[in-house]
Amino acid sequence: MRILIVEDDVTLAGQIADNLKDAGYTYDVAHDGEEGHFLGDTEPYDAVILDLGLPIMDGASVLKKWRADDKKMPVMILTARDSWTDKVEGLDAGADDYLAKPFIVEELLARLRALIRRSAGQTSPVLAVGPVRLDTRNSKVTVDGSAVKLTAQEFKLLSYLMHHDGKVISRTELTEHIYDQDFDKDSNTIEVFVNRIRKKLAAPIIQTVRGLGYRIEWEDDNA
Amino acid sequence: MNPSDNNGSSEPSQTVEPDAGRAARFIGSLTGRLVMSAVVWSFVALVVGGFVLSFAFRSYVLTDVDKRLELLLDTLVGISEVSPEGEFRFNQPLADQRFLTPYSGWYWQVSAEGAEPLRSRSLWDFALDARHEQRSFSLRYSIAAGPDGQQLRLAEHDIILPEAEQVFHYQIATNMAEVQAAINRFNWLLVSALALILFTVTLALVLQVSYGLRPLRQIKRDLGDVRAGRAARLASADDPKLPQDLKPLVEEINGLIDQNHKLVQRARTHVGNLAHALKTPLSVIQNSVDGDDSERGETIARHTKEIRVHVDHHLKRARIAGGGTGVGLPVCDRIKKLANAVAVIAGDKQLAMSVDCDSGLMFDGEKEDFDELLGNILDNAAKWAASKVEVTVVRLDQGLRRPMLEIQVSDDGPGVPADKRDSMFDRGQRLDEQMPGTGLGLAIVRDIADMYGGNVKLSTAPLGGLGVRLLLPAK
Repeated sequence: MRILIVEDDVTLAGQIADNLKDAGYTYDVAHDGEEGHFLGDTEPYDAVILDLGLPIMDGASVLKKWRADDKKMPVMILTARDSWTDKVEGLDAGADDYLAKPFIVEELLARLRALIRRSAGQTSPVLAVGPVRLDTRNSKVTVDGSAVKLTAQEFKLLSYLMHHDGKVISRTELTEHIYDQDFDKDSNTIEVFVNRIRKKLAAPIIQTVRGLGYRIEWEDDNA
Repeated sequence: MNPSDNNGSSEPSQTVEPDAGRAARFIGSLTGRLVMSAVVWSFVALVVGGFVLSFAFRSYVLTDVDKRLELLLDTLVGISEVSPEGEFRFNQPLADQRFLTPYSGWYWQVSAEGAEPLRSRSLWDFALDARHEQRSFSLRYSIAAGPDGQQLRLAEHDIILPEAEQVFHYQIATNMAEVQAAINRFNWLLVSALALILFTVTLALVLQVSYGLRPLRQIKRDLGDVRAGRAARLASADDPKLPQDLKPLVEEINGLIDQNHKLVQRARTHVGNLAHALKTPLSVIQNSVDGDDSERGETIARHTKEIRVHVDHHLKRARIAGGGTGVGLPVCDRIKKLANAVAVIAGDKQLAMSVDCDSGLMFDGEKEDFDELLGNILDNAAKWAASKVEVTVVRLDQGLRRPMLEIQVSDDGPGVPADKRDSMFDRGQRLDEQMPGTGLGLAIVRDIADMYGGNVKLSTAPLGGLGVRLLLPAK
């Protein structure tokens, strides 16, 4: 999952970034509204954490511009402006969630998880496909109830695929959502990761769609 | 500047002495001062005029009496003669009935030194004081005592008759009672007429002053409207009937109101900016000690939380405008928007929020205040509800000083026991530490409701959870 952090306070942005990294997210940071808007406009993000009081262009304008350009990624406003009038206006501008500063990191992470899950059309915090369960709250994966150990990169990949189960995901899309913008995009590494995950899960839920990419699908007769 | 303030502060003395208080207030008022000073001057002028008139009338009447006395004295002298034998007599009778009837009020007396004086019959057994020692050969007027206790106007003259060697002292007098009665009648009439004039003038003054001051009273009412939030500025400014000389005053007051509004806005913005500016560094501090179990880390975390509570409290207090806008806020749309925001922020919780509300209902106050009231109540309800939150709004007109909106929010959560409900309004009080929030929500709800002259009450909702009943001024 790739997250855009738009926050002008460098220290706070760094803290959020560190916590997102620990939680298994990939992230990009912008420190002003213009840069934030540009990144959101050009890169595919799974969610945006957006401050309202930003230099050059304020957060509400950034958000309105994205929505006017039909950018649909979920946006969480993170701001010191915590009056209910501000909240109503922020949500009216097209935000999907609103968190007031000062905040507890756990709450930010919980809200972010739920936001990504909901925007992918998942209602439960535990994603289930066949015998595989992925608990978004604690990043645990089980097959038939027994825990499976995945590396951080493997978990990111599986998590992205399971959030979008039933859909064909191209290797490019996977690369974009798992690595940050400076990563050297070599799609062969994706293939290596997918094969490792398949071995560890021992349950054939990742289908290869020739020439297009991968799809999460469980067919009972495979069991 | 603010008349209602002055009235307010003089209230206690009024309750002790209501009449004295009212009189003192009237004299202190502009109407009272104008009327009182005009009445005092009119009174002084009328009294002086009355004295002058009374004096003039009295001297006119006395002159008239004196003229008649002089005429009669001349007649008396004219018919006097001394006989060759040296005896004093009248050569014809003084045929006036008034000098014959005893004590009639008209008397004459002619006396010579060393002889029994001749007297009019009307004097009967009384003799006027001849006062020979004060001889005067010109006409003299004086007041003298007469018979029957009468007070007399006396004209006297010493005459030397041609054939005599003696000086005869002629005296002629009339009772002053008749004259005095005429003067008294006149004075009585004068006082009555002047009193009537004073009364009429006072009445006319009161009418004139109250008519003249009517625009000022209108301005006072307009100011009251501004203070009560029924109007944003003085309405008189747009009144074409407002006197030209009051226009600058009204415009100045409106300017002052605008400036005051701007100052309040600026102060609120400053507090808001300060509070907001503190929040980002607070987040940084809070996050940097997150998970630090050392004593130092916990101290920092605890105090950071305390700072946060203070910042939130004062930021929210600064935001409260607590007054009518004179415009009115459509309640239903706003509640629906807030319910939507609350539902979004509640996240995964599948909540059925129903709003039962007539779209014409208006709240007499600021949008920000209403948002804070309903946002906090709905947020609290959404946190605790199992699946349902219901909002109903009705307008109450009966038996209230002003129309109110009754907003009821109920949820199907666990509710709050009756003995713990009061403490829910305490600042920083959280009945369940598991739920996020600073525990300021309901405290600020009560603060705002109080500032609008409304109130908030907690009960057990029909749905089983907490019921919040909020009363707010309606527009």
